Amino acid sequence: MTDAFHIDVPHTDGALAVLALSGEFDITTAPAVRTRALELIANGHPHLVADLSDVTFCDSSGLGALVGIWRCAKDADGSLTLAAIPDRLDRLLSVTGMDTFLPAYPSAEAALAASQGNCTTP
Amino acid sequence: MAAVVEAARMAAVRRYDILDTPPDGAYDRVAALAARLFEVPVATVTIVDEDRIWFKATHGLEGVTEIGRDPGLCASAVLSDDTTVIPDTLLDPVACSNPLVAGPMGVRFYAAAPIITADGYRLGTVNVLDTRPREISEADSATLADLAAVVRDQLELRLSALHVVRAEQERRRVEQEKRQAEEEARKRAERDRAAIAAFASTLQRTLVPPALPAVPGLELACHYKTASPQEVGGDFYDVFPVGGGRWAFFLGDVCGKGAEAASVTSLTRYTLRAAALVDADPTAALKALNTALLLDAAVGTRFCTAVFGLLDPARDGGFTVTLATGGHPPAYHLSPTGGGGVQVEAVRAKGGMLVGAIAEAAFVSRTLHLAPGQGLLLYTDGLTEARTADGHMLADTGLTDFLAQRPAPVSAGALIDDTVALLDTLPDTERDDVALLALSVPTPDAAPAGITTTAHSAAAPTTDVSVGQENRRP
Repeated sequence: MTDAFHIDVPHTDGALAVLALSGEFDITTAPAVRTRALELIANGHPHLVADLSDVTFCDSSGLGALVGIWRCAKDADGSLTLAAIPDRLDRLLSVTGMDTFLPAYPSAEAALAASQGNCTTP
Repeated sequence: MAAVVEAARMAAVRRYDILDTPPDGAYDRVAALAARLFEVPVATVTIVDEDRIWFKATHGLEGVTEIGRDPGLCASAVLSDDTTVIPDTLLDPVACSNPLVAGPMGVRFYAAAPIITADGYRLGTVNVLDTRPREISEADSATLADLAAVVRDQLELRLSALHVVRAEQERRRVEQEKRQAEEEARKRAERDRAAIAAFASTLQRTLVPPALPAVPGLELACHYKTASPQEVGGDFYDVFPVGGGRWAFFLGDVCGKGAEAASVTSLTRYTLRAAALVDADPTAALKALNTALLLDAAVGTRFCTAVFGLLDPARDGGFTVTLATGGHPPAYHLSPTGGGGVQVEAVRAKGGMLVGAIAEAAFVSRTLHLAPGQGLLLYTDGLTEARTADGHMLADTGLTDFLAQRPAPVSAGALIDDTVALLDTLPDTERDDVALLALSVPTPDAAPAGITTTAHSAAAPTTDVSVGQENRRP
């Protein structure tokens, strides 16, 4: 019933890293995402782009993980940018007001381009 | 040296575990066959024990099971690998004094072939005896040796069967022990699970009010269920007076589960209660909670969503409700329509953010009038994220449709009962905790019994408890 969940890092570039998630992003998979993101931040990639194009389901635990990652990235002078947000998460972001803190782009490429602009700014 | 050899021979005898076993057709047939082949009155199959000669089979010698290990016959024959033949015992210097020879039986002829194991031990002999002297040919000697070999084969077969049986017994014993160990472990795990569930249930009861208060002029009902009896839930709610005839209520959901979420739930509940007593403004209460959650180092990355409301009695018997939301799904305001139906309005305070995630979080409130006949439903996302039979989430649309089909006037008790019934029809509600809180203002012509406050309590595994209370508005 549940799709196999995957976390991939298809791209790193200096301080930037793309975190591509696929499958159900919920209470069972959120801790792994958080752990992986914190590793990336600790390894010198504080500017993260979460590519959510293959996420089939995202609940409040998924949102919780994103907020946690965002806080950690911010503490490391980094950022979290979201790409290809599923509808449901989009509503959650809006309900929780987090859409004002987590910039979103329609695709990973667009998010990457925007992030590159941001993180080269001194 | 001879003692050592004899000790090894006795070890072999014991290995076959044949001594003192009951009669066995196979050996009896060998004895009978020997008697017939040699045309003698008596034939036996014997095993030579430490201090006796034990008869495994006898033919023509009924009622004898063992004799002493006197020298002369079997005891001598077992010392040689060759067939022993004594044509006339009276002429043999050793055999002549044997009780079988000198005694009433008067044995005159004796021949015996040793039963030799594959590894060379002589266990006993196959014997033929006669009361008159006689000669036998070399071929007859060989025949007797063959009969001893038949006995040997029989003993080997029996031994290997014994090994199989013993291995099987051992396997069963080990299996039995394993089953017992597993059963023990299962019982222990069950006890542990029950202890954890009891602990979680006790802790849970400290996180939600034991019973809703009786609020004059208001009907209140709630439902609370944790996803698992082993875990403390992260949902919370409360209703309490703030003075001046006003009441406050809140409901929310801490991100996460278990003991860590419980600590945030506890902090959240007393912070909101304390904040409301200082400043009853709902946005101020949420702001205080935001600060408290961010300050608490142990809480750190935990945050919550919450709805906080203030009830102010209005002239028409209803209430003015000031509702602030912190990142929580909208509450639903149910108003009867002229046609006897119910209009459902989602109450959103746009801009209310997650509580405890960001220092800069902003909270806003909205005011609505809860008139007689109207109701308000607050819930956590365990309700809207519950999946229906087709695998889709109930979602806001599913909940709105369900509420729109309710009859007017809206009663908080019936609203909760029906919502719980709706949850019960969904296949997969173990995914998340669910907290529901409903408020309704009875119409003046409502049942004269007055207002009922019902609490569907609380954490599993205790069964649902209904607390009924009646209270008339003074």
